[in-house]
Amino acid sequence: MGERKLMSENEAIERFVDDGDSVYVGYTSAAYGLCQAIIRAGKKDLEILGGSVGPQGTMMIMAGCVSRVRTGYLAGALRPGVVQDLMASGKLRFEDYSNQAIALMLMAGALGIPFIPTRSFLGSDYLKTEYRDHPGGYLGEQKWAEMESPFDGQKVVALPALRPDVAVLHAQRADEEGNVQIWGHQGDARWAYWAARKVIVSVEEIVPTEVILSDPSRTVVPGARVAAVVHMPYGAHPSGFVGYYDFDYAYQARTMSRITRSYEGWQAYADEWIYGVKDRAGYIEHYIERFGEAALAAIRADTGPSPADGVRYTHAQHLRFRM
Amino acid sequence: MSDNGDYTLAELMCVVAAREFPKRGVVMVGMGLPVLAGTLAKLMHAPDIVLCTEVGAIDWRPSPDVSRAPIGIHDLNLNNGSVMTSDMVDALGTLLMGGNVDLGVLTAAQVDRFGNLNTLVLGDYCAPERRLGGTGGNTEIACLARRVMTIMPQERRRFVERVHFNTSPGYIDGPGARQRAGLDPQGPNRVISTFGTFSFDTPDGGMTGSCEMVLDGLFPNMEPDIVQIETGWELRVAPELAKHEPPTKEELDLLRRLDPHQYYLVPGRY
Repeated sequence: MGERKLMSENEAIERFVDDGDSVYVGYTSAAYGLCQAIIRAGKKDLEILGGSVGPQGTMMIMAGCVSRVRTGYLAGALRPGVVQDLMASGKLRFEDYSNQAIALMLMAGALGIPFIPTRSFLGSDYLKTEYRDHPGGYLGEQKWAEMESPFDGQKVVALPALRPDVAVLHAQRADEEGNVQIWGHQGDARWAYWAARKVIVSVEEIVPTEVILSDPSRTVVPGARVAAVVHMPYGAHPSGFVGYYDFDYAYQARTMSRITRSYEGWQAYADEWIYGVKDRAGYIEHYIERFGEAALAAIRADTGPSPADGVRYTHAQHLRFRM
Repeated sequence: MSDNGDYTLAELMCVVAAREFPKRGVVMVGMGLPVLAGTLAKLMHAPDIVLCTEVGAIDWRPSPDVSRAPIGIHDLNLNNGSVMTSDMVDALGTLLMGGNVDLGVLTAAQVDRFGNLNTLVLGDYCAPERRLGGTGGNTEIACLARRVMTIMPQERRRFVERVHFNTSPGYIDGPGARQRAGLDPQGPNRVISTFGTFSFDTPDGGMTGSCEMVLDGLFPNMEPDIVQIETGWELRVAPELAKHEPPTKEELDLLRRLDPHQYYLVPGRY
């Protein structure tokens, strides 16, 4: 360790995301800033994935970065519009899984095992052969397999291990070595940190390594597994981030409500909030110009004292082995 | 549906669902109306349940003055007052698949006479009329919770003879089907709609009986004939029908306080 992983978002994306990569983008640790940097960099032919994929992934689809989606929920597919049209026309290929499936597949990828069994999907239409080979699909027989346990014959569905080329995630804090700490509910992010070949993480705060060492249970992944760490306050905006800021519903309603209805609606958003700024710092500057400091203050999380501040990991320094 | 007295049928649906929560046990609430009904139940009718969401909040204990029900299952307020916050492998794996969830509370675009749900697509999956957002964790909760309660507005396009795509198995196509598919028995399952309540004709979680949905309770001023109009198959009706009471002022005040921006109970939606 000791290698410096700290860099700008544009450098991180340029160095570690290649055209054609599979990219974990997820839902609960939504790295809006990193995903928008991918859009600005004009990456192509990506596969995006996550148990659920939030609007930051939908934006990558709208921008033409994405050719395949592997998920249990895609934010932009909910209403008629461009994403549905792309799926219907076959231009956007997709494989439907579920939250549990993708989480387990990432865990299997992280564990280095070829597949993992689940008892989900049994009895559902997902397993029907004609649906497995649906027109938009791209995994075919690699999607899953029904099998019986070699031990007791119980029916299970074997899910293939998933090792994304890249994971882009937002986290609360890290040090310059890329030791990442998170807290709060984690969705499937925890296993994406361990499954991806390259991990790019943006953080609200860069902290001294001493802070990491003083609270090791909060570390989700050691720096050895992290390719790049980017200091990016408000990197999950307009999603919320535990302990820092809440969901910015007012901003979403004001600026994002039309982004999947039509390319015109998308272009208006993208020109202003993605292509019109250089990076996330520029995005926040623009936000303040447009809506004022008070709008940002309104989403800021409470910062009162917390009973958990006194957690200790102490031990006795000088044990005697003889009385 | 429109106003019925000084409350809406959607409000009554949430209130009745909250009343039907068990008094204890582990309950996993899905996206949408379930998380709203779950918050109401936890604060009023079932304070001892262990309330969980699929993204990793386990045993959420909202304070009595909580400013809103979670908006979605990933609302940050689920991190305030949860006994444990973990991830989907814990919530949908160790907790759910490990056999620890007593009740899953779900909603969907469609439900059918055997209680199967559809969260994915309207029309043919291979050439859909319309895609929906997707199943999220709905599928595994339907497969693996010991019981399921579904909250669903009573509309003919939602209560269909057969779901267009079975994302989330109930009793599939009748007695023994869950067992043949490799799933455990499940039940007693419930459906709560904007018109009344439903159970399923099976004494043993889907092994015997017809496994069909049966109307077993009515909201005020409702009749079985009216429910039938908004149901896409010939509905079975229990010999004795429970009469559900209108919401109390306390229930209604709390429900409205939990949805301050009418995110869930959008006027005119149901």
